[in-house]
Amino acid sequence: MADVLFTNVRIFDGGGEAPFTGDVLVQGNKISRVVKTAFGQRTPPIAGVQAIDGAGAFLMPGMVEAHTHFSWNDQPSLDAIQRMPPEEHILWCAEVAKRYLDMGWTSCVGAAAAKPRLDVVIRNAINDGTIIGPRYLAASQEITVPGGLGDTTAPHLPQHEFAFGAIVSGPHEMRRCVRMFAKYGVDSLKINLSGESITGMPSEASQFTDEEVAVLVDEAKTWGKRVAAHARSTESIKRCVKHGIEVIYHASFADEEALDLLEQHKFEHFVAPGLAWLINTCHNASQYGLTRPVVERMGYFRELEAAIESMKAMRKRGIRILPGGDYGFAWTPHGTNAKDLEYFVKHVGMSTMEALLSATAWGGPMMRMGKVLGYIREGYLADILLVDGDPLADITVLQDKNRILAVMKDGEFHRAPPVRAAGRAANTTRWAA
Amino acid sequence: MSGTLFTNVRILDGSGGHPVPGSVLVQGNRIQAVGRGNASIPTNGATVIDGAGATLMPGMCEAHTHFSWNDAATLAGIQTMPLEEHVLWCAKVAKRYLEAGFTSCVGAACAKPRLDVVTRNAIEAGQIPGPRYLAASQEITVPGALGDETLPHLPFPEFSFGVNVNGAEEMRKAVRMFLKYGVDSIKLNLSGDNFTPQSPADTAWMTDAEVAAAMEEVRMRGKRGTAHARSAASVKQALRHGIEVIYHASYTDDETLDMLEAARDRVFVAPGIAILYAMLHEAEPWGITHEKAVQMGYQHEWDHAVESLKAMHKRGVRILFGGDYGFAMTPHCQNARDLEFFVKYLGFTPGEAIRCATQYGGQIMMKPKELGLVKEGYLADLLLVDGDPMANLAILRDPKRMLAVMKDGVFAKAPPVRAGFSVQADLGVERAWGRAA
Repeated sequence: MADVLFTNVRIFDGGGEAPFTGDVLVQGNKISRVVKTAFGQRTPPIAGVQAIDGAGAFLMPGMVEAHTHFSWNDQPSLDAIQRMPPEEHILWCAEVAKRYLDMGWTSCVGAAAAKPRLDVVIRNAINDGTIIGPRYLAASQEITVPGGLGDTTAPHLPQHEFAFGAIVSGPHEMRRCVRMFAKYGVDSLKINLSGESITGMPSEASQFTDEEVAVLVDEAKTWGKRVAAHARSTESIKRCVKHGIEVIYHASFADEEALDLLEQHKFEHFVAPGLAWLINTCHNASQYGLTRPVVERMGYFRELEAAIESMKAMRKRGIRILPGGDYGFAWTPHGTNAKDLEYFVKHVGMSTMEALLSATAWGGPMMRMGKVLGYIREGYLADILLVDGDPLADITVLQDKNRILAVMKDGEFHRAPPVRAAGRAANTTRWAA
Repeated sequence: MSGTLFTNVRILDGSGGHPVPGSVLVQGNRIQAVGRGNASIPTNGATVIDGAGATLMPGMCEAHTHFSWNDAATLAGIQTMPLEEHVLWCAKVAKRYLEAGFTSCVGAACAKPRLDVVTRNAIEAGQIPGPRYLAASQEITVPGALGDETLPHLPFPEFSFGVNVNGAEEMRKAVRMFLKYGVDSIKLNLSGDNFTPQSPADTAWMTDAEVAAAMEEVRMRGKRGTAHARSAASVKQALRHGIEVIYHASYTDDETLDMLEAARDRVFVAPGIAILYAMLHEAEPWGITHEKAVQMGYQHEWDHAVESLKAMHKRGVRILFGGDYGFAMTPHCQNARDLEFFVKYLGFTPGEAIRCATQYGGQIMMKPKELGLVKEGYLADLLLVDGDPMANLAILRDPKRMLAVMKDGVFAKAPPVRAGFSVQADLGVERAWGRAA
């Protein structure tokens, strides 16, 4: 790969300071130099290095999606996801992985796959260059209980292939299930600790015995895996802290006790609320039959309100809130994930700076690469976006593919910046003349 | 109106003749005009590609493709790849074929039931790049024959490379399953293969009742039957039952040749001789010495195959190229090597060899009037090749010589653009061109 020098860019380095004008040199897959330059100062070219004049564009770390489901296929129900055959499903995942990178997500944290090996295979295929995609941590299926969120079997169709999640009952089955996913090579185990109102099991309900959860956590620790939980209910949030479950998805109904617990352990957990799901289920899903009265009856308006209050409170207490989550349904299509940053600003009260940091500085540790990822700093991995505009002034520019001028992952351009045409007739191509 | 105009090219039209200088205009997905000599074609806003004397020829058609063979040395090595990885493998290989100049491929069997169908659908939907593709079934076989990879203590169907059937009704059921999945062709293993010593090449395995049941279903759905048929008995069986594509046909007697000649307007023979050659001469890294290959019967088969194919060629039977690439000893995308074999061992002229890949390709792709030639109105599947394949067929398997690949009017591999400022790059192209000319 060629070394690249970005000149004349506004550098947002992920440290929380205002951006500054300067140059960034990428050598190999690392950032090797970050310098401030004075107004109008020209950096001399370096031999053998491709120089890119950013013309004042905004240069920032690649974003990290903290709650990704490549295998959700932009359909309106769990059933419709599950019914896709495995051959088509893996091609779908490959297509979506590229889409995330296109949109500036250079890292994604898998939050559950719809079939046992989809996430693992995609991660491996990205790593060995078979397909194009972000850095990826592979998740298991959702682990659930009979009748719980993710059990989509029907009484007359009890075969486990019909289930969206992996269904276990009792500590013994739990251990076996974790071992199966560990054998497949997942990076994390996903457990559904609470319900989800759209499935008929309310978000405020909880499931699993403490013993089962303890077995999961214990077995995961043995294999060196991370645990992540779908936890909307009050009880499930507290359980995450109690059992040391690192990644907490949703956390809508956090009461004072839950907030206190989270605050006490705030550097042991990440919270990714996935607000997009709540907001769009409430307001943008009527064409799928989710009209206001239907959604109200389900309880989503109440949950949205509660989730916003919870996130505001967590933000005040310095708990790490990360973007992403539950994109991949019909009303939250893949690739629109940067809306989460807008939601953080609009609903949770974050500054645009905080929102950007949630996708960058906190993304590094979320990827378990805190010392090498998430900043524009010397020695860090070269995951870099070049943005036309200022996300600190208008966070929504990150939702527009055309405004994301370039995406670099690991020192290589996935999308190279547009080059100005050099005075040649645009429609004439000559390979030799 | 936009489009692409290739100027200053040598047109090798794919019908077997020598190239002529000219220019070719592509609009939409069709060849709009072919101008011979200096006859100029109005550009009408088309992108002009100055070919600088390169050869413009039809995209090649591979008549016997196995995307899902994963360059392993054994059938078991192919079969043990898990499903998810296997799909991604097929997708990757499909793209490689296209970029190597194969704008059409005829699937000849896949290693798991839906691999070919899913890959074809994904190509057609634009989800992945790949050639035009006809999707095959798995190999349908009988217990003990080629493709039955189950073991006595592991009798499970998932262990089998092919689908094992016993009797006409099981055959019918298997064929219906594949037709339900949406295949374009049903593949029957009528003969054995020296690759599997328990079922050597000169044997036959299926009953006429089984083959008849399969072909009845195939006809009812308007699909195509294809056969792995190395032995004379199996070739005759294929012809008796109206199987359209005969793979291998190594062993023939006079009766077989007469039957083939009589059916020459409806059958295609794709011998896939590369695997025979490779097993004999190039498989030592995988434990198959020349001596061992001879023992396995490969020399015997090679000698017969050469004679059979020469005789078929004389009798005007359409012999197509491609076949059984995707093993360790015949890795994917070296397929154009078959053309060299045709000339060297079967007595084809280079023009005849190229016609196997072009004009006959359009025919086996079921598009005889619109695919496989550089001709007005034909689909724009085109290759721009640095050099003259008529003088040196080997350039067709050199990625550097494959300057551009167009499928359906769209570049799958765009021609390199002359960089106005880079003198070095220019010289590189000139030098390469000088060698070829």
